[in-house]
Amino acid sequence: MLEVRNLDAGYGRVPVLHDISLAVQPGEVVLVLGANGAGKSTLLRAIAGFVRPTRGSVTLGGVDITGHAPEDNARRGLRLVLDGHRVFPDLTVADNMRLGAAVRSDPAAFEALAGPVLDFFPILREKLRQPARDLSGGQQQMLALAQAFVARPSVLLCDEPSLGIAQALIPPILEFLKRWARDGVAVLIVEQQIDRALSIADRALVIERGRVGLSGTAEELKRDPRVQEIYLGVNRGS
Amino acid sequence: MLVPALFGNLYWSHTFHLVNLYVAVAVLQNMLLADAGQVSFGQGAVFGAAGYTVGIAATLLGTSLPLAFLLGLAAALALGCLFALPALRVQGYYLGFVTLSVAMVFPELLVAFSDYTNGVNGIKLQLPALHRPLFAGVTPLSLLVILLACGALAGHGYLRETRLGRRMRVAAASPEAALSLGFSPGGARSAAFFIAALGTGLAGLLYVPVVGFLSPSAFHVELSIFFFFSVIVGGNGRLLGPILGVWILYLVPNVLMVDLVNYRLIGYGLVALGIMLAFPDGLVGTVENALRRRTLKPGDAEVGLQSVMGAAGAADKAPPSAGAAIVEVRAARKRYGQVVALDGVSLTVGRGTVHGLVGPNGSGKTTLLNVLSGFARLDAGAVSIKGVGIARMRPDRIARLGVGRTFQTPRVFDELTIAENVQIGADVAGTRVDDVDPKWRTQRPDQLPHAQRRLLEVLRVIRTGSDVLLLDEPAAGLSAEERREFARLLRHLRDALGKTIVLVEHDLDLVWRVADRITVLDTGTTIAEGAPAEIVGDARVRALFTGKLDA
Amino acid sequence: MDELIIILVRGIGLGAVYALVAISFNVVHNSSGILNFAQGNMLVLGGLFGFFTLTQEPGVASWLVLLPAAALLYAAVLAGQGWITLLPLRSSVEQHSWLITTLAVSVIIGAVILIAQGPFALNVKSPFPSFALLGTRTPAPYAGAVLLALAWCAALHWFHTRTTTGLAMSAIAQDLEAARAVGIRVRRLQIYAFGISGAIVGSAGFVAAPVMSISADSGIIYVVNGFIAAVIGGLGSNAGALVGGALVGVASMWAAFEFGGQFQNAVSLAILIGVLMLRPQGLFGRTAARRV
Repeated sequence: MLEVRNLDAGYGRVPVLHDISLAVQPGEVVLVLGANGAGKSTLLRAIAGFVRPTRGSVTLGGVDITGHAPEDNARRGLRLVLDGHRVFPDLTVADNMRLGAAVRSDPAAFEALAGPVLDFFPILREKLRQPARDLSGGQQQMLALAQAFVARPSVLLCDEPSLGIAQALIPPILEFLKRWARDGVAVLIVEQQIDRALSIADRALVIERGRVGLSGTAEELKRDPRVQEIYLGVNRGS
Repeated sequence: MLVPALFGNLYWSHTFHLVNLYVAVAVLQNMLLADAGQVSFGQGAVFGAAGYTVGIAATLLGTSLPLAFLLGLAAALALGCLFALPALRVQGYYLGFVTLSVAMVFPELLVAFSDYTNGVNGIKLQLPALHRPLFAGVTPLSLLVILLACGALAGHGYLRETRLGRRMRVAAASPEAALSLGFSPGGARSAAFFIAALGTGLAGLLYVPVVGFLSPSAFHVELSIFFFFSVIVGGNGRLLGPILGVWILYLVPNVLMVDLVNYRLIGYGLVALGIMLAFPDGLVGTVENALRRRTLKPGDAEVGLQSVMGAAGAADKAPPSAGAAIVEVRAARKRYGQVVALDGVSLTVGRGTVHGLVGPNGSGKTTLLNVLSGFARLDAGAVSIKGVGIARMRPDRIARLGVGRTFQTPRVFDELTIAENVQIGADVAGTRVDDVDPKWRTQRPDQLPHAQRRLLEVLRVIRTGSDVLLLDEPAAGLSAEERREFARLLRHLRDALGKTIVLVEHDLDLVWRVADRITVLDTGTTIAEGAPAEIVGDARVRALFTGKLDA
Repeated sequence: MDELIIILVRGIGLGAVYALVAISFNVVHNSSGILNFAQGNMLVLGGLFGFFTLTQEPGVASWLVLLPAAALLYAAVLAGQGWITLLPLRSSVEQHSWLITTLAVSVIIGAVILIAQGPFALNVKSPFPSFALLGTRTPAPYAGAVLLALAWCAALHWFHTRTTTGLAMSAIAQDLEAARAVGIRVRRLQIYAFGISGAIVGSAGFVAAPVMSISADSGIIYVVNGFIAAVIGGLGSNAGALVGGALVGVASMWAAFEFGGQFQNAVSLAILIGVLMLRPQGLFGRTAARRV
């Protein structure tokens, strides 16, 4: 569904990513791991169109979307959920969701899609008429996911869904992502919480200073001691 | 146009005089806009205030001419200071609107106070002595206007070579960089308004003998807009831009198309709009850029580690004995709204050591660095550097204590040459940067790769002579090779120059290798502190960076 | 006493015109961060539309048809201007290019009016009779301007909270990056915002034409006073703009009565400097003027 080939990207003259290749199939959760500043977020941003790749290609369902504007990619079905549970603080929960569905003009489908996601996160149904700024960080993250869900993307990119969220709320959020993938969506997640994220992922890759350091199935990486070493930056004299 | 009018033709000499005055005003507008970053739509009012004050003083108040001219200059300076006042508080379009309002109100007030200004009838004041030819048709007045225009140009060029000129450009590009270099951006801005008012005022004084008649309609808001557009058309920030801008906007409509004088304003508008859309760098700017691109050999100048080490210089005295505490933070608390950024952090950094600050995103590292450099204020707790409490001190004062910092995105200024980028650091220490690659004097840093830009900023901080260096992610984006070089540089700074370094860095590998001590932060609290060997074995630290719960 | 009532009533009416300019600023500023210097001259163009279309004895029916026509015409004009203004921003070569392009458009409009109509202010007749309020006769357009300002405020509130396009426009103001991630076509909505601002000043100019100064150099007066109203109310807040407009309007009416018309703008300028020095974020503003 989503295919990234030999991607180089960076900010201005700061090179961040070198020669990254990956593919995500429908129904699959792929996890991107890596230490702070390794380039994980940049990778998602480069795929979504916020950062223009300097080399390589991004294809969505066989269509080349390299360097396309993020709003166009979102309309084409590639949706990025930014880190830091960013929703529109002055809009109500309901309006935030409505805006999420606006890219797919189909009001009937919105009701059908909003139902299940509100069932999964009942707190959102309770706070439907409240402005999003009154929600806790975790609830905002749920809302951000709900906003993406009602857009029915074929590829979901999710940047650190657990960042700044109460521990208790992390499992349901990750569980939601897993179920969503089972419905046939290609899911690419960036996470810091290795163990928790690996438990819902099918495959994972570790980014090390802008390059793919390790990759494999979630089970393989769980057992690989090198993963932790990369995070701590030790014993891999560069 | 700078050639004197030899023909004695009245119309031509009049045009020649005016154009030179306008060039002088536009040059100063250019300085104000490009060097100091100040949007002023009100320079016409400053120009008019000088002229009108001369007229009022000399005719209605009956003062002597020299006194009248002095008063005129004082009026221009007063108005310039009036602009500088809001400029200390607000910037950009806010300031644009304030100055535009002044330009709009100025002629209205001239009419309103008709008892002093003769209202719409204007003031007639001829100074025939200045029109009497000295030789070959050259009058004292034409000499004066040429002197002024050339003086303004030369002055602008000279200003750029001075400390004040460099500081104006730094303050415009990055106020926080200005503060971190120990000076107030507001001061640099005020100086720019003052200098602009001085030159514009002098031009306004000469306007009186040039025209011999003052009327409110001569100083409408269009005059201010004309000055502003002249700069844009010629090319914002190009020394010669204002000359071309004035020629195009004044001479073309007023001389070549005399019959179409009514269309002059449309001309201003269309030319400015067209230039902005087609040549955003202005006419001179576009030509300069094209020439530069053609002559530039990419990767020519280099800011390599060797040159940085060389330019960093050797210690002029033996580094003071290491160990004694130089930076102390006790129980620091800082919250932003609902987010607690620092929750009781304490930190002690020994003189002449490298102290690493690590932790995940949002753990409070950069906040702590901002507290140490005065960019963030503690809600509770104490912080001192060299024994001086700095909790309530402004960043520029802390910088003057000998604290230098770098930023996550390097504050490297493409408007300055590479050497000037270093010189603004050396300005703090009062030294000259003269021992560098000559290419640094001619080339700008815009072609430098990222790693070299970081090194350039680090070099600047070193040259400030600060003995405490706060480095915010200096190794981000560097290659493995560059990282190793960078670690060597840090050790050199510590061992040879006795610097104290606080290093915020994502790249743990680098921190483990160069830091003497490390503080690990998480959600605003210290979770571990010690030598690298102790930290790397700490179970909580491992858990923090890998997210393992069972650790 | 009478004088005070006239100052208050007409000041609030004049203030409503300033408030309308301020609201039109807000619409564009919220979606793009741009302040359109040409907005004052666009208002004058709205008045000029009234001058050309309203006859010596204008009828209420034709007035009612012409009002939306004015709004639509200037919505189109401003959308065009918006497109031009946003062009150089696409490449983000010069971030403040809009300061110059919008000022240039303002200068061009002023010059065209000067050439076409000469330097004198134009008179426009209102189809509505003047009315008595608190014992003074007040020309109807003052009330019209107040009603129009309230109507636009309400309409914009409805638009921003009830329609998807309006929600999307609010979203741009709240978090540009998140809006793009959602799939909101930012550039298109920014041009819409310019269009809406055109409908506001176009209709405002048409309604207030009989009591407005319609001349080549009055645009700048309206743009400056509108900006002051917006700053007092807090840039971005439409309710604030209503209050700010009323304050500036009453102050400048008072200045005209007390010292004479030439001092109106001087008083406004004093208010602007006062507000910026004391409370740059305005009375109701959330975003402060950039302070460094």
